[in-house]
Parts: sequence; structure tokens; C-alpha cells
Amino acid sequence: MHFKVVYVTVGTTKFDGLIRAMTSDAGLYALQKRKCQKLVLQHGNSLPLEESELKLINEKYGIEVEQYKFRPNIEDIKGADLIIGHAGAGTCMDILNNQKPGIIVVNDELMDNHQLELAGQLAAEEYLFYCQVSELARSLAILDFAFLKPYIVDKANMAKFVNALNGLMRQ
Amino acid sequence: MSRNTKDFKCSSTAQKINSVSCKQNMSRNTKDYPTYVILGSGGHTAEMRQIAMALLEPSNCTNYQPMRYIVADSDDTSQSKLSSDLPSIRDSDFIRVPRSRSVGQSWLSTIFSTLWALLWSCWLIWRDQPKLVLCNGPGTCVPFCYAAYMWRLLGRLPANSKIVFLESFCRVDTLSLSGRLLLPLADMFIVQWPGLAECYRHKNNVKYFGRLF
Repeated sequence: MHFKVVYVTVGTTKFDGLIRAMTSDAGLYALQKRKCQKLVLQHGNSLPLEESELKLINEKYGIEVEQYKFRPNIEDIKGADLIIGHAGAGTCMDILNNQKPGIIVVNDELMDNHQLELAGQLAAEEYLFYCQVSELARSLAILDFAFLKPYIVDKANMAKFVNALNGLMRQ
Repeated sequence: MSRNTKDFKCSSTAQKINSVSCKQNMSRNTKDYPTYVILGSGGHTAEMRQIAMALLEPSNCTNYQPMRYIVADSDDTSQSKLSSDLPSIRDSDFIRVPRSRSVGQSWLSTIFSTLWALLWSCWLIWRDQPKLVLCNGPGTCVPFCYAAYMWRLLGRLPANSKIVFLESFCRVDTLSLSGRLLLPLADMFIVQWPGLAECYRHKNNVKYFGRLF
């Protein structure tokens, strides 16, 4: 599967490891193999790349890199052919609800690393892939994204919740 | 409502008492006690946005308005994200508060910032008397729930006000720290994965409705 536009997001946290792994030679090479032309990096509180590095990447791999700290990212999500993100629930939901192929990268720089739980569960149910930072480049190269299942939410669940809450408020 | 008005016209003592309580009910309805929605950052806000949208559906008979959104003062993104999805929201619906714990903050400084956040929560809950405190797990929500619990015990909040906690979608097998702190006092405590539902099924306040998001 080819990915023309790849979106990398770290959410509201700091995840230098993901940004570094993605812009390492191995990471960029894997992107190039997937016919990537544009890489959008939402780096949040992680260190951004220098102008010179961006230029070098463009020359060496033919990949245009756009980076920013924060902005409303629904356009980035919708415009991406592949989403690579940290295991925050928001990012997982963005991947699932927009039916995009996605790789969740576990952030071991965080204090309370419960994120494995969700990523592991969603990966076990075959909605997305997940990996460690050190495995990212390799995963990107070898994974078969056609294997992923579409994510469907039963709207009745939310209605059940609202009904229960209405009942509680009447007590 | 029509029955209530009839009650007001009666004059026997028992009915007078009845009418007083109706009157109180009525004044409670006319004074707009708010719903407090506690926003976190990132994923917490994304979940809460969907909950708020479901509760504000015009077809929903229970009135959750006015909604007040509590945002940590260091959080730049939640307000704009929510405003873009719910255009009816005004800037004055947001209340900015100090954060009790930032992701990655050390435990020692967490103690002090939590105490400060607790003072703030106590003041806000005392001032606004929310009928419902609704939250889904960011650190900011813990002091608010404790403050609401305390003011309800002391009679500042009506006895029928509620504290509702929705465990984050990202909690599959274990409760969050906020969840563990709030499990004993939440009136309803929602989990989103079968593993957790099974684990806490002996708790009356724990509910599971399947995946919501």
C-alpha cells in the first residue's frame, strides 16, 4: 500500500523519540519506499527540526516536510493516507473514526504508561497497528495495511448512556 | 407543572408544606443551576465533546443546560476545539482553573498544585452550585468532584445533585488514578471495556454500556 501524505502527531505531549525515529534515515527510507511525497509533523512540545534538516530531507528523499506545534488538525487527519501517532485516546479515535490506516507508537517517556492498554487492545482487535519507537521504521516497511478492519461503533451505546444519566438526574 | 400550581392555591398545613417544597423545586428550576463539564486536554476533551453533543441533543428531555466547561489554564487547545464543534458555546461558558497535575509532573509538586486547585474548585462549586459534575478523568476533575461531594454533605449543594465519572476510553484493564480516587464517591461511574466492567461488577455505581466512541 502506498501513502502519499503521512501525518505524524504527538498530541499535547512531548515525544521526541517519535519525531526522531520518523525523521531518521531508516524512517525516511521506509516512507520513500511507500511513495510518500509529503510528511506533516505535529510535534507539540517535542523539539522541531531545523530548516536545514528539512531542506536536506527534501533533497535526499524527495519528501516535503511540514511541521507545526499545534493547530486544529481535522484537515490533517482527513488529508492523510497514513497516520502515525502516540497512543493518546484522541489520536486513536481520530484514526478509527476516520477509517485511516494507522500505527500507534508507544511513548515510554511518560510517567504513567497505561497507553499500552488501549493500543494493545485495538491492535488485538485488528483496528490499527502498534509498535515501540525502535520498531517504527521496520514496521513501516513490512506491515500489510490491507489487513486492518474498519472500526464501527454502535450508536445505541451512547443512547443507553444518555438514558441512564437522565434516569439518575431524576432521582 | 399544572399540579404544582394547584398546590399553591390550597391552604391546609400539610399542603402548605407541600407547596413550599414545590415552590423550592420551581425556584430551583427557574434559577439555572449549571452542569459542570470538566475538560482535560487531548483525548479527554475529544471524548467529552461527544458526550456534551449527545446530552445537548434537542430530542433529549432532561435539561443539562446551562453547561459550564472547566478548562485548565495551561490548556490552549480544548476551548477552540469545543467551540468549533458546538457553535452555540460562548466564551463566557468556559471557566479557567489552575491545573492539579500536568503530564509528567513530579509527585511532590503535584501535592502543592493539587491543594491550590482544590481551593479553587471549592470556591467555584460553592459559587455556582452545579446540579451535575461530569468528568472523564483528567487530573483537573478530582478536586472538583471532592469539592462537590463535600458541599453536598454540608448542604450547600442540593441532595439530588450528582457526580458522574466516565473512565477514559484508553483504560482497558486498569482504572486511572483519577478513577481510583473517584470510584468511592461517584454517583455513576462508567467504564468502556468489558475487562474493567467484569473487574468492578460488584460495585453498584459502576456501569458499562459498551464502547461509546
